[in-house]
Amino acid sequence: MAAAEPPLKRSRRETRNDGGSALSTYGLLAPTLLVLAAFFLLPLYYIFMFSVALRRFSPTEALASLNGELSGFTGELWSKLLGVGVTVKVPGLDVDVPLLLVAIVFVVLLVLAVTGSKLKDYGSWVVGVAFALLLVPFLTFPAGNNLVRVMELTSDGQYVRLFFKSVTMAMTSSVAAVLIAIPVAYFLAFCVERSKYTWLLIVIAPFLTSYLLRVFAWKVILGDQGLINSGLMAIGLVDQENPLTFLIYSQFTVIVVLTYAWVPFICLPIFLSFQTIDRRLLEAAMDLGATRMQAFRKISLPIIAPGIVAAFLFVFIPSIGEYITPTLVGGVNGTMYGQSLATQFVGGAFNWQFGSVMALFLLGVVLLLTFATSRFLRAGGGGI
Amino acid sequence: MNDKMTRKGFVALTGATSLAAFLAACGGSSSSSSSSAGGDTAAAGSSAAAAPALDPATEAGGPIEVFTWAGYDNKDAPWMWDQYETGAYGKDSPLKFTFLEDDQQALAKVASGYNPDIIHPCIAYTQQWAAAELIQPLDMSLLPDYAGIPEAISAGGIVDGKQYFLPFDVGFSCLTYDADVIDFEKVGGEESWEILLDDRFKGRMALFSDDAAIIKIGFLINNGAKDPNVQTTEDIAASKETALKVKANLRNYWTSQTDTVNDFVNGNLDATYTWPDGYWKIKNNPKMKGRNIKYMQPTQGRLAWTCGMVLNSKTAQPGRATMAMASTNRPSAGAALTDNFQYASGQQAGVSELIKDKALVTAFQIDDPAAWSPPLAWFEAPLPNYKEFVAAGEEVKSA
Repeated sequence: MAAAEPPLKRSRRETRNDGGSALSTYGLLAPTLLVLAAFFLLPLYYIFMFSVALRRFSPTEALASLNGELSGFTGELWSKLLGVGVTVKVPGLDVDVPLLLVAIVFVVLLVLAVTGSKLKDYGSWVVGVAFALLLVPFLTFPAGNNLVRVMELTSDGQYVRLFFKSVTMAMTSSVAAVLIAIPVAYFLAFCVERSKYTWLLIVIAPFLTSYLLRVFAWKVILGDQGLINSGLMAIGLVDQENPLTFLIYSQFTVIVVLTYAWVPFICLPIFLSFQTIDRRLLEAAMDLGATRMQAFRKISLPIIAPGIVAAFLFVFIPSIGEYITPTLVGGVNGTMYGQSLATQFVGGAFNWQFGSVMALFLLGVVLLLTFATSRFLRAGGGGI
Repeated sequence: MNDKMTRKGFVALTGATSLAAFLAACGGSSSSSSSSAGGDTAAAGSSAAAAPALDPATEAGGPIEVFTWAGYDNKDAPWMWDQYETGAYGKDSPLKFTFLEDDQQALAKVASGYNPDIIHPCIAYTQQWAAAELIQPLDMSLLPDYAGIPEAISAGGIVDGKQYFLPFDVGFSCLTYDADVIDFEKVGGEESWEILLDDRFKGRMALFSDDAAIIKIGFLINNGAKDPNVQTTEDIAASKETALKVKANLRNYWTSQTDTVNDFVNGNLDATYTWPDGYWKIKNNPKMKGRNIKYMQPTQGRLAWTCGMVLNSKTAQPGRATMAMASTNRPSAGAALTDNFQYASGQQAGVSELIKDKALVTAFQIDDPAAWSPPLAWFEAPLPNYKEFVAAGEEVKSA
């Protein structure tokens, strides 16, 4: 009988190779870390110091005054942003609640959505309900210049109101982009074989042109005498004198353009997720009596979930702070948080400290969301 | 010597390097702040004294950077700069151009440390530029044509008795509208800013996204022909309420005049706030052939603006830069400005005669001083409560 072999003693050479390997691995990472320190952490430090007014940055009193710098810490800036009530609107009922309470409820819902599946009983229900409650206040169907919704969060506070509106527009465009990207990615992964990468190139072709050009192209398509209105007029569905005016310069336009802009980009992570599905698993499930839906829910969905969550975040995070798109096609009602934030620095308000507070608030929300959803980014789909 | 590096060691090394870079950057910022502060103290000292007589001949050469609006460089507008470029210092101190987007952005950029020699802002911001010690008084002996600028136009460029601003381009800001569509029946039959409240044209009108302009228009609607630059806190609150009502009828607040001109000629708008060149472009666009395009002269008065050149307090060549500015102040440059950009010029001595396209003189009443004075036109002026205007304008836009 062979006795259990003692663990192999690693030679000096092997150990040295490990050290070399670690060095080369981290060496690859080092430039990124340095860039991160210089272009993310350092600006973040400045933004934080501005926001709490613990350090003055302008070299002269005159410049400090122009930039709206305070001379010491005050909660005034934060209370200006956050110290407002929130109105929760559901059909036939308006309820006023403090912003802090809303924030707590959202964090609790986020925790339940992420960890609810661990509950012994009703785990999937808890996750589903928590997700629904998180999405419902911000999910809309754009109808003309208005957004049709089941629940709405608004506020008397100018910036919080704008923030909720931006979250709504970003959320709607993110969900729409993901829903459009899933069938495209499915097509790429399963319906074409030889020409797969040609199709992939076609899907990402819009990236070969400038973003601004693509936005301006939408103005041509959606204008009062643009492609859509002209087409509808030609077939008599729209009166010559009364074009569909909501198509351009509205929240609808911003959502459409953001969705369009991000769909090609997020096809990639979802496509890669589909690629990892072993079709034999699906066949086995079907052989064992699972319906198509059950096979999708139990096998496909957990596998592609990280791709879907990553895709959602890829759209949502940049969209929530959007500046260019609402400026170009947003019209009077399409203003977003990012535009107001930019105004504090370069748009005439000259209030760098308040701009920093706004930026940190946005960063906090995005970090919280990323942290919470990071669980889903792990292979296997986390809680799903 | 052990030349191996463990993961732990590497992480520590990377962390230390990053920390060192971070601290160095912070330290660098502090030291640069200190040196800047010193520089500004010196600049402040020079601004406290009378504007020095400059001697361009003693200045070291090198590029002179002009921070101006697109279209005002020596390629698109050579007539502005030709005198300087063909003069004594044109080769030794050549002009280099960068472009600004708007006054606020330009001010923010220079306040952040960007240091062009000449800047081309509008006169209403002169006090902010001067208060932030970003610009210096002009040596008037190097501006031989200065006397041709009417005092009414140059007055806004004086801070503490010193001239900081050399007016160059002057124009109106008002509504260009399609008179075949827009009528003023509901607002008294005369051209009026009140047309913005007429919901018959809801979604067919646009305004500039400038916060102060939004509030000034609200004031003119509320108060008639009264100076919109002078508003109390209560006035601003009332102007804001009116601006919110106006907003309900607007399609958008534009940020680029080219965009709104395109929107107009492509049928998305029937009235939009433009500068004179915007009106001219719309009126003469082939798509507008046969349409009755007008530039409104409201009963409350048009808004008007003056832009021009200021000299950076940190320029190394103040004399030569001033000579470049002087080149833009000649009557021939003023006339070319009207012919090419449809603006009037700050320089008015003998300019009308030099303008080739006399239709422009008539269209914009360039030879009629009354059209350029209250109550027919309200020039931008420095606003002591500027931040109140901006806050109210922002509230309107984000509502």
